[in-house]
Amino acid sequence: MPPFVALLFVSAALPAAADQCYSVDPAGGSVSFELKQAGSPFRGVFRRFGGELCVAQGKVERIDVWLEPASVDTGLPEIDAALKAKEFFDVANHPRIMFASESVQARGDRQVARGTLDVKGKRRNADVPFRLGESGGKPVVSGSFMLDRLDYGIGTGEWSDTRWLGAEVKVEFSAGLSRR
Amino acid sequence: MVKVRKSTGSYGIIAQALHWLVAALVLAQLGIGLYAANLPVSLARLQWLSHHKSLGLFILALVLLRLGWRALNPPPKLPGSMPHWERRAALATHRLFYLLLILAPLAGWLYASAAGLSVNWFDLFQVPDLVSKDRQLAELFKALHIGLVALLASLVAVHAGAALRHGLVLRDGVMHRMLPWKPRSED
Repeated sequence: MPPFVALLFVSAALPAAADQCYSVDPAGGSVSFELKQAGSPFRGVFRRFGGELCVAQGKVERIDVWLEPASVDTGLPEIDAALKAKEFFDVANHPRIMFASESVQARGDRQVARGTLDVKGKRRNADVPFRLGESGGKPVVSGSFMLDRLDYGIGTGEWSDTRWLGAEVKVEFSAGLSRR
Repeated sequence: MVKVRKSTGSYGIIAQALHWLVAALVLAQLGIGLYAANLPVSLARLQWLSHHKSLGLFILALVLLRLGWRALNPPPKLPGSMPHWERRAALATHRLFYLLLILAPLAGWLYASAAGLSVNWFDLFQVPDLVSKDRQLAELFKALHIGLVALLASLVAVHAGAALRHGLVLRDGVMHRMLPWKPRSED
């Protein structure tokens, strides 16, 4: 896509396109994950999340987002309880999972936020591709990326057996942005 | 001589093999299910329940195969000495058996589907879900699965009791129709 078209796209998605920050609106948005259990896909969502996305000169400049792993919802209360425990998210000691961008690069109509993902105090470099769209006149940020849960100590001890619980986790997100 | 199809007095070797294979697997399945259901969330529970689901679908397939075989090879006649009500009771028990052997695994499959815990059959292929993930439905199918299995277990006791009565008390050859060997008296 020629740069000016990309600029139009961003301008359409962010009507103001002025230097300003938006807050990530959890209402109507979603953050979900998928990994394999016993060879089959297993999905869940996080209910509480938020953050900030800042625009400068018509470009996304910074993304800072967080989620509370204690809000995990797989539809199975027993599994949710296990995910909050020490072996998985250890929510008592690490109430928030955070991502902070260091740079944002445009790749066609997609953009990639390069930054640091912090889970259970383990900080790893992560590339998070995303796109800005629009829904009901409101800008929407969405995207997906893969991570290796073992890099972050999600599922330690017997749960590090990836034959029964896959290492690769697909994370998908979508949320509206509110002007602040 | 081993009969592939039924001889006049006995079930054929295929019907017998299917009967005893299903019997052994159902007993193993009851044990695994009871054991795993009472484990806390753990790798062992994930492994046992995964085997339980694969085994349950295997039993379902075997039972359908049995029904097909039975349709082509009607079971041997019951002895004329059996009272009318006993024949009726045996027929009803066997029909209920087949019904439960189909419905119990089916309810388990529905439960796994609704819980979002799909089945990968012995790690060989992905089994399709019967319904999409739904927590209320999962609770319903769980209760249904447990209820059907409890009925099935009771029926196993009735069936085994009746078979032993025929074999040890009445000695009318009814139990031996399902055994690959003959009683001494008939040799």
